Amino acid sequence: MTRKPKIRDLLDESACTHSPTKKNACNAPTPGATTGGCAFEGSQISLFPYADAAHLVHGPMTCVGASWETRLTHTSWAGRDLTQMGFTTGITTNDVVFGGEEKLRSSIDYIVERYAPEAVFVYSTCVTAMIGDDIDMVCKQAAEAHGIPMVPVHAPGFVGSKNLGSRIAGEAVLTHLVGTQEPETSSPFDINLIGEYNVTGDMWQYTPLLEELGIRVLSTLSGDGRVAHIRSAHRAKLNVIVCAKSLVSLTRKMQERYGTPFISVSFYGKRDTSASILAIAEALGDAELVARTKQLITREETRLAQQLAPYREIFEGKKAVLNTGGNKSWSIASALQDLGFEVVATSVKKATEADKEKAREYLGEAGILMTNPGQEQAKVIDQTGADLLLAGGRSLFTAIKKKIAFADVNQEKKKSYGGYAGLLNLAEDLKNALQNPVFKNVARRAPWEK
Amino acid sequence: MGEVMRKPDKPLQVNPFRLSQPMGAALAFLGIDRCMPLMHGGMGCTSFTKVFLTRHFCEPIAIQTTAVTDVTAVLDGGDGSIVEAVQNITKKVAPSLIGLHSTGLTETKGDDLRGVASQVDYPLVYVHSTDYEGGLESGWGKTTKALIEQLVEPTTATRTDKAVLLPHVSLTPIEVEKLKEFVVLFGFEVHALPDLSTSLDGHLGEKQSALSSGGTTVEVISELADAGLVLSVGDSMQPSAAALLKKNPSMSHLHLNHVQGLSATDELASALLEASGLEQPPPSVVRWRKRLQDAMLDSHFSLGQTRILLVGEPDFLAGAGKVLSEAGARITLALSTVDSPQLNNIPADRVRVGDLEDAEALQEDYDLIVGNCHTEALAHRFHKGLVLRGYPSWEVVGNQLQNDLLYEGGAYFLCEVANAAEHMRAAKHKF
Repeated sequence: MTRKPKIRDLLDESACTHSPTKKNACNAPTPGATTGGCAFEGSQISLFPYADAAHLVHGPMTCVGASWETRLTHTSWAGRDLTQMGFTTGITTNDVVFGGEEKLRSSIDYIVERYAPEAVFVYSTCVTAMIGDDIDMVCKQAAEAHGIPMVPVHAPGFVGSKNLGSRIAGEAVLTHLVGTQEPETSSPFDINLIGEYNVTGDMWQYTPLLEELGIRVLSTLSGDGRVAHIRSAHRAKLNVIVCAKSLVSLTRKMQERYGTPFISVSFYGKRDTSASILAIAEALGDAELVARTKQLITREETRLAQQLAPYREIFEGKKAVLNTGGNKSWSIASALQDLGFEVVATSVKKATEADKEKAREYLGEAGILMTNPGQEQAKVIDQTGADLLLAGGRSLFTAIKKKIAFADVNQEKKKSYGGYAGLLNLAEDLKNALQNPVFKNVARRAPWEK
Repeated sequence: MGEVMRKPDKPLQVNPFRLSQPMGAALAFLGIDRCMPLMHGGMGCTSFTKVFLTRHFCEPIAIQTTAVTDVTAVLDGGDGSIVEAVQNITKKVAPSLIGLHSTGLTETKGDDLRGVASQVDYPLVYVHSTDYEGGLESGWGKTTKALIEQLVEPTTATRTDKAVLLPHVSLTPIEVEKLKEFVVLFGFEVHALPDLSTSLDGHLGEKQSALSSGGTTVEVISELADAGLVLSVGDSMQPSAAALLKKNPSMSHLHLNHVQGLSATDELASALLEASGLEQPPPSVVRWRKRLQDAMLDSHFSLGQTRILLVGEPDFLAGAGKVLSEAGARITLALSTVDSPQLNNIPADRVRVGDLEDAEALQEDYDLIVGNCHTEALAHRFHKGLVLRGYPSWEVVGNQLQNDLLYEGGAYFLCEVANAAEHMRAAKHKF
């Protein structure tokens, strides 16, 4: 059992900024007073974008029945996109009583035979972990029988949060895939993108720029990812963590094991995109590359400024209140500022200590950091005279009541807001939100109401 | 009736459309006014359900979790996390009822919900809804039965002008409302249990509540046993009807497998005429029957040449299959989430319990699909016509306002399917 991740080790991540202060991000949830996903969901989110691998969920119906085909993690994989498929052993009472290993074994055989994946990820869930199915053994035997990697993912929902599930998924990739194959070619500018899932094609907003600079994305975990590429990830010169705290354990271990340094970046907004591209070039340590990169950034920023000019006219002087979670509390704020908005408040309810610092940095001393946005945001809108509320669907009523524009930033998004090009998408959406008369119209009183 | 295959012939499900019992239970509790469904399991079960229903209804969904962790999974019999959850919920909001329901995790560890419920000093209804048995439909049915058993006061008195409607899970909020209105037209006061028609019908409320708003109230439920007429719709609601009749054996019970299409609506109308003592139904009913007859004739040209795949819960398949086949459409394949006696009532060449991989393998057998949004990929892949119905339906707005029932809804439904079939044929000519 030495290959199973130690949950305690993963909870106590030394590279985590909040680790010394023991903040609540990794603590147990409170019954009756909590929302949010589980470890299983986190592991899914991290690994599902591997479209050339099958993702087999060993559990009852809830786990995948309510969660397949939900995320728009685009792929350029020419084969059938296995991300958009749901595979589950769908265990029944009989399996709970007699064990589900045999069913799991034949399910893997079935998938390999019909869909010829490059690998199979096998996810344990609460019920199959409780009944003690040995998915490590089944995976080991199946890998030998079929000659492709079988990756057991030990993230049953009850072990913790989504964040922990992502760490466990990273651990599974590190244990079973990374370092098991050599790349066909190598370059001094090979990087891995870690924690970028290519949701709505976010990654494709900036990877062409990296390619233009001669920086090669050797592998990703896991946006538009390939199993074969992640197997050779140990040969990369740099790990780039994209907006994801959860996979810092993986990059720390890769640094210890393979000497791969890592940096953490974000591609939301103009300033962050530019800073991130430059940070990658600098970390690769080539003066000529850095010079090329600065030229490219100037070119892109100039072009973007032209494209954004008509929007900036509309947004100038407009005030926005932002109510979202995690790194979005500053990354979207930064993007809004790039568009010309004044961000008067942001929520730091679900943010880490580092996120709060960044939010303060972006919003300045006058900016309001809301710790209880549900109760505060209406008051903040009144105080500041805000014109736009960006929040999850639940806050829609605040916008109707205050008769101001609303943009949903929490729903499963369909458009990319990443990179320079994504900022244009965001601008277009916010222009439409500000110009839409629906909030004023809906707030109209009925003729029979006083 | 055609061949019925009740058992899948493979070890796994590929592209499943079966949904879980806990989700059905949560949905039923959302049909109770000011209720807080409390799912007893890991927090992911609740999170998935919440996101799923939020996207389907485009409304915030009130639901809480007991957030079972690895430690409580092993050491706690459920008492600790449930009691703590109830305390934490009632600290912030005051639900009229807490709807406690289990999941696969807590059923595997064997928590005694009834025992825990007796320790909780708050109005609470419990139901065992493991997700490794049954599905959405049975979770809804079991919860309705539990609500009746645990809340309805027994009585011997009956009011002949009062009716109770027990609708199956696949009826949309507007369909429940249309059904209630139909019964009201015959002179009854009617209460639905559960009643999504006033809670998840997509109404814009005065403020956004942290609880369900609308739905049957707990007070109304406790007094349901004096109704003269119990009307159950869908096979999954038979046990609930039986539970209600136990509370007052003098109630009369009318069971309908479904209320879609001409013959089923005729059956309901004639039963209501008899129960109410009326000679004639109100003019609007008479008028809509004529419109349905006309819609059947208008749509039969197209439907008569269309082979259909139906995908959904058993009670839905029985109703949709009937109305379509009455206008000449051929249901060549009906795919059901789970097994049910209802599978014998589906007018299809082939009925099977399965998944969407099965539908893909048999894609040469049909031209048009009536099913949930997971069938959209299938329809695009093989250039099939598509009419979206059932859970989930994430990519369209207005699911809760979609009415296919009775004379009126039947007329609209047949026109919609016939038009979709024509669009499909027109698009095919271009290939």
